[in-house]
Amino acid sequence: MPASYEEAITLAGDLHARPAGALAVAAARFSSAVSLSVGTSHADAKSVLGVMGLGATCGQHVTVTAEGPDAQDAVAAIIAILAEATRVGA
Amino acid sequence: MSLDGRVGIVLVSHSAALAEGAAELATQVSGGTVAVVAAGGTDDGRLGTSAAKVTRAVKLANGGAGVLIVPDLGSAVLTVRALLCEPGDLPTQVVIADAPFVEGVVAATVTAAGGGDIKAVLAAAEEARHARKL
Repeated sequence: MPASYEEAITLAGDLHARPAGALAVAAARFSSAVSLSVGTSHADAKSVLGVMGLGATCGQHVTVTAEGPDAQDAVAAIIAILAEATRVGA
Repeated sequence: MSLDGRVGIVLVSHSAALAEGAAELATQVSGGTVAVVAAGGTDDGRLGTSAAKVTRAVKLANGGAGVLIVPDLGSAVLTVRALLCEPGDLPTQVVIADAPFVEGVVAATVTAAGGGDIKAVLAAAEEARHARKL
């Protein structure tokens, strides 16, 4: 059954190109639509250029939203990447 | 070099260094699971393009799911289009992207890494034209 799920994280580092790539590759594994919001900007998590275009930096609040049959798993996967990748400053 | 089941990417630039640098960037951003092959410069190492280099690169990048070619400018586009007019030597479905070079290659490679088919990879490259940096 389609569902909507949402979770937020405060970035511990800037969202650079490589984590943006890892995030888009991971988001593509899910059939749900997955989006990121930072302030008033939104991006499709499956679009690496869109994710990079958010220009999300250390300390900013990022909300991950997914809609679809695997929404909860998708949000968990993307939150995990945001937590790990920005922590090591990849 | 080729990775079965994933779309391969070929970069055609007048400059070997430009093609190799963009390939390195796309490979790193996408996690290294896609065949990204540079075909830059002429056969004797000058600025320009080489149909023979492009053909070799397509063969290296081919994993059976098609190959997307991203050209930089001018004669790179003409070289690829001429090649696609006579695709006899090419081993797989090959399409050319009308896309900005760096952004197109990065978007296409990440989409290929996520398991996108040739149509999705082409669309990702061409949508890169509209991506904002600021």
